[in-house]
Order: sequence, then C-alpha cells, then structure tokens
Amino acid sequence: MTQITRRTVLRNSLAVAAVGSLARPFIANAAAKTATVWWTQGFVPEEDAAFKKVVEDYQKQSGNIIDYSLIPFAPLMQKIVSAITSSDVPDLISHDINDAVLVPQNAWDDKIVDATDVIEAQKDKLHPTILLGTQYYNNVSKKRGTYLIPFKTACVPLHIWSSLVEKAGFKVADAPKTWDAFWDFFKPMQPKLRETIRNVYAMGLQCTTTGPADGNNMFNQFLIANGGNSIITKDGKPHLDDPTVKEAVIKSLSYISKAYKDGYIPSGALSWNDADDNNAFHSKLFIADFDGTISTEVAIKDQAERDDVTTMGLTNGNDGKPMPAQLGIGGAFIPKGAKNIDVAKDFMKFLIQPTVINDYLKNGLGRWIPPYPDVVKNDSWWFADPHRKPYTTEALVDPTVPGYPVFNPGWAEVNAQQVWGAAEASIIRDGTEPKAAAEAAFKKIEAILAKYPIVQS
Amino acid sequence: MASASVIDVGRPVARPRSLFSRLRGGLQGTEYAWAIAFCIPYVGVFIAFVIFPVFYGLWLGHSPSLYIELFHDPIYQQTIVNTILYLAIGVNVKMFFALLLSGFFMRKGWWVKGLLMVYVLPWAVPALPTFISIHWMLNTQWGLVNNVLWDMFGIDGPGWLDTSRWLALGSVITTYIWKNMPFWTVILLAGRMAIPQELYEAAEVDGATGIRRFIHVSFPLLANLYLVCTLLSTIFTLGDFNTANFISGGGPALSTHVLATLGIRDAFEIARPQLGVAAVLSSLPLMIPLVVILMHKLRTSDVQL
Repeated sequence: MTQITRRTVLRNSLAVAAVGSLARPFIANAAAKTATVWWTQGFVPEEDAAFKKVVEDYQKQSGNIIDYSLIPFAPLMQKIVSAITSSDVPDLISHDINDAVLVPQNAWDDKIVDATDVIEAQKDKLHPTILLGTQYYNNVSKKRGTYLIPFKTACVPLHIWSSLVEKAGFKVADAPKTWDAFWDFFKPMQPKLRETIRNVYAMGLQCTTTGPADGNNMFNQFLIANGGNSIITKDGKPHLDDPTVKEAVIKSLSYISKAYKDGYIPSGALSWNDADDNNAFHSKLFIADFDGTISTEVAIKDQAERDDVTTMGLTNGNDGKPMPAQLGIGGAFIPKGAKNIDVAKDFMKFLIQPTVINDYLKNGLGRWIPPYPDVVKNDSWWFADPHRKPYTTEALVDPTVPGYPVFNPGWAEVNAQQVWGAAEASIIRDGTEPKAAAEAAFKKIEAILAKYPIVQS
Repeated sequence: MASASVIDVGRPVARPRSLFSRLRGGLQGTEYAWAIAFCIPYVGVFIAFVIFPVFYGLWLGHSPSLYIELFHDPIYQQTIVNTILYLAIGVNVKMFFALLLSGFFMRKGWWVKGLLMVYVLPWAVPALPTFISIHWMLNTQWGLVNNVLWDMFGIDGPGWLDTSRWLALGSVITTYIWKNMPFWTVILLAGRMAIPQELYEAAEVDGATGIRRFIHVSFPLLANLYLVCTLLSTIFTLGDFNTANFISGGGPALSTHVLATLGIRDAFEIARPQLGVAAVLSSLPLMIPLVVILMHKLRTSDVQL
C-alpha cells in the first residue's frame, strides 16, 4: 500500500495544478461556442417543450451549444438581480417582466449590451409599438438604444365566466361598450348569484400592493380609459400637473376603491400576487377580471370549461372612443460581462426569425403572440380560437401603446413600488380621499423620477 | 527558597520558546504540515461562505443615503414597529408558555408522554407546507376557519389577512408561536430534568411546595437557561423570513412586513439589492448587543444546573 507523505501530497497537488493550467486554453476554446441562457419557465409544460425544440433546432443548425436553465418566474427574478449585482452573469437572459422591471434600470446603468444589430434584419416587420418599446435610455451614453430583443408580445384582455353571467339572468353580449359601464354591468349580478352561491363577487380588479404586474396593468388601463395616458410621454417627461391626468388618476382610484369598499371585489385582492387572481378566477370567486395574456384560459384543460370563459378585447374608453391597450413586450437581453456574446446574439437572430418564432409561440399554446403583425395576419391559427382571436386582435390589430418604463426607467420603480396599489389601499383601509391619495402618489412618483433625469437630444 | 536551591544545583534553565515555535503550537515536522493541510479546507469554506458574504453585504449596504431613504419610507417605519412587536410578543409569549408547559410535561404517566409526542408535531413537520396550509385556512372566502364559522354559527368570519394590519400580524405571531413553542418547551423540559430531585425534597421539608417550589427552586435554577434561550430565540426570530412571508406575505398593503421580508422585497421585487441589504443590516444595532449579551451569559457560571 502506498504511504501518503507530505511530499507526495505536495507533488500531486502541483501536478493537478499544472494539468489544470495547461488544459485551460482548450476548455476556454470549447466554451467559446456555448452560451449560458436563463429563460422563464412557462405557465404550461407546452411552453417549455416549445423552447427546448427551438434550442435543439438551433444547435443542429449552428453547431453551437445553448446551455439553458428554465427557471420559475420569482426565483429567476432573484437570480438575475443577484447575477447583475455580483457581475457574474449568463450570456442571455429572458424574463417575462424584462420590459417592465429589469431592462429599464439596467439599460440606464449601462449594464446591457446594445442589440441593434440583432434585430436589424427583422426591424421592419416588428409592430411599431414593439419597436418603440425596445428603445431604452442609457444614462452613460446619454442616448437610447436597443437593449431588449423582442420575440413575443402580450396584452391584457378581459375574462368573463359566461355561465355566471347567464345564471344571474344576463347575457355577455349585452355588456356595455365603455369602460366603467362595462364593469358596472357585473355589479347587479352579484346579489342575484349570492342567492345560491355564498362567496361570489362581481369583479376581480387587482387593487394590490403585491407585484409585479397585474395591479399596475389594471390601473394603467383605467387611467387610459379616463384619458390619462399622457401621464408620461415618449421623451421621458412626466405630466403630473396636467389637469386631465390628475382627473384621470382621481377617477381611476375612485372607481377601483369604491368597487372594493362596496364589496364587489374579493377582500383578499389587496394582497394578490400575479398568480392569486388566476387561482381566484379558476375557482369562480368572481365573474370577470382584467388579466394579462390568456394564461387563465390556456391553463384550463377541460374544453367545456374553457369554452365557458369569454375572452374579450378592450371596450372603448369612458369618452366612448376606442382606447389603446398597453403592450407587454417579451424579450431577452445580453448583460455586460457575458462571455459569449456572439453565440447569444446568434441564437436570438435565429429565434426571432418569423417562422421560427411563430412555431415556437404556437407550440406554447399561444399564450404569447409573435411581435410581427404580418405573421399573425397570414396564419389563421391565431384567429381560429375564441380566446386567441380577441387577444391577438387587441395586441396586434387594435391601437396600442408601450409600457411607461420604456419612456423613463423611473417608472419601473414606480411599478415595482406599487404606487397605485398603495394609493388604492390608502383609500380603502385608511379612508383617505381619492384626491389626497392621488397627490401622495404624485409626490412619490416625482421623488422616484427625480433620480432619472433624461437628457433631451 | 526551595525552588532557588533546585536551580542552584545546576539544572539547565528552560529557554523561552521562539515566536515561530509558539505559532506551531508545539507541533513538529510533518505534524505541522498535516495540521495546516487539514485546516485549509475549513478556512477556505469559512472565508468563502462566512467572511466574504458578510463583508460583501456590508459593502453593498454601506452608503448612508440608503439608510436615509429607508428611514423616510413609511413602509420601513411600519416594518420596524412590526419587527419589535413580532420579537417582543412572539418570543416572550412563546418562551413563557414553553416554561409553563415544560413543567406540565414533567408529570409522570404514559399519556403525558403521548401528549408530548403530539405536542412537538408542529415543530417537527416541515415549515413551508404548514405555513402555506395556514395561509389557505385563513382565506376569507374559502378558508377552513371561516367556513367552520359559517357552518357552525352562520357568521361570516373576518378577513384574517385581507384588510386589518393587526389581524394579519396577529395571525403571523400566533403561527410563529404555534410552530416554535414545542422546540423551546423540550429544551426547558431537559433543563428541568437536570435539576436534582434532592433539592425539591429539601425544599419540601422547608415547606416550599406548589408555586413556592417553582419560585424558590425551579425558576432560579432555570433562569440562566431561560434567558439564554430567550436571547437565542430573539436572534433567530430577527432573521425569520418564512413565517411573515408565507402567512401574510407582508400584506395587507405592505403593513405586516418584518425586516427580513422587507429586505427581500426591496432587493428582488424592487430590484434594488443595496436597499434590501441596508434594510436587513439596519437590524444590527439590535442584533450585536443581543449577541454580546448572549456570549456574556454563556460564560457566566454563577447559577449552573
């Protein structure tokens, strides 16, 4: 038996170190063709399977390797924030709220690689709102650049349990065509349904202080319906003193908080996260809600039950005119410090090809929509289903606007801080007047946006 | 004088050990090399997973502006109050009842042992599934608690976690006590079992029975253990993320956050890790004295079982 001595330990350690040093160039060379990718896990298994297929196809075609991790929504957010903070980053990151939270702030801080060259070949095909929604401001270069590589889009449609409406003696087709009146339509149904069902509510408006997205999406649509879309403009300037904006904010806060206080919204909505309202919808806790994507419909496996859900695009605004929907832009970004930028870019160039992205999103059951209007117009699949049709129409056919964080990264923090949800909660819990709650929200927004002075070119 | 005479007979004077020799701790040759080799992995792990994270955290949260921002934030102010209430009520109520119940579980009888087994279950079962179950049980519309209230008494229960800060914080604290009390009961039970029976017999001869026996015998002997347990529990609880996060989620309207959950919210939901670290570091003025007192108490030997 060989005796272990100090000399043998030292000699073997030196040998291992030497082999490691000599082998390193070859290991690095092998890794040059591999990109590390973090991707959001889908809501349904089909989305993940679709992504894996895209990766396989790319690897076959390019010879490169995509070393991917499919990570659930919340843990991925933590992983990304930690990675960027510690500068130990992957080569490519896709998160479903990249556009609203992660990219605005990190583009501002010059922590993202400009991807103008990646989207160049597809630029003309992109929906104009989506193209606008990729242009974030960089506070180091003092100009905007393409920091989000868009490959999918989504809007926020209306979801209604038709059977509950009918049970209450109404018809979905009779729903009014203006925003507040539409929501008022469900109120008289609640007492009728409660004659036989103990816990059922008219609407699932997410007046929540828990993020990340639903409460902000809902409030923003109320704001737009009341004429307040100019609260922040393309140049990144807020217009909180504009009387129209002020009035729109107060009207929106008033409607939502009154509906809650009158008992038309489940009391737990104050703390709902983005999954809670989906769960509440599935348990028929309320008749209708306004929730991003068609994830609620896609998650229902029983065809008859899925058919019971009516998916609708937006009504008109409260002035009776068509109002734009806010588009969510699903995209990826390449963080600075990534080791294999070329492979990451090459993979994204492959993914955003119209045919590739169309197949990918169709295989994912159409929860997200391609960012190219012509692709969906030329593929009847997107309009062949009663849920996809209104959803796709709202996103790519009807008027749209991008999310506010693209105009000013401070708005990402406004969203993350749930400023509107906090204002609603203050009215509901503390009895604050809507006007005072709006003023408090404006002050908070001003303080946040003051940290992000955008130089006008 | 005797010792002087020993030296006088010519025994060589012991030479003082050199610094190098003292550093080697008396180890010779390969023994010293092996000692170093065995220490390296531990030192490496300690540096990588203790020293580095602590200093990295301190570096992340070093800017005074972060603390100014925090102290001006009404949510943080509310969080400080919640954390103090959580510690003051949660830890003390838990420890007090654990002390009393440890006396109960000293009783003889097979059924007491059986009851003890059932009693420790909340501590023994995994935390997260139980917290999530309790969160669901407290759901206003379809939770078990309100459904039982409706079915048995025909009344609509309150929104436990929905609108009232105090109901939600009360739910968090109650769950915390329910989950952790069995553990400390068992610790104090072990302390009681270590008290010699003769002391009780002597006290009985002197007329100390019942509550007087507890006041004059049991409690003085348990006091040091009780204090150490309370300090340890306070330190653990200050960093407790799970209970508040999974019971109330910091709601309603961010009113029941504690420092640990607010730190995570600021770091990852608002995507400002420096602010999140600062929120957690702001507990150090409480944490450091607690650790110092704990260390001091652990060295105290005036009353030992």
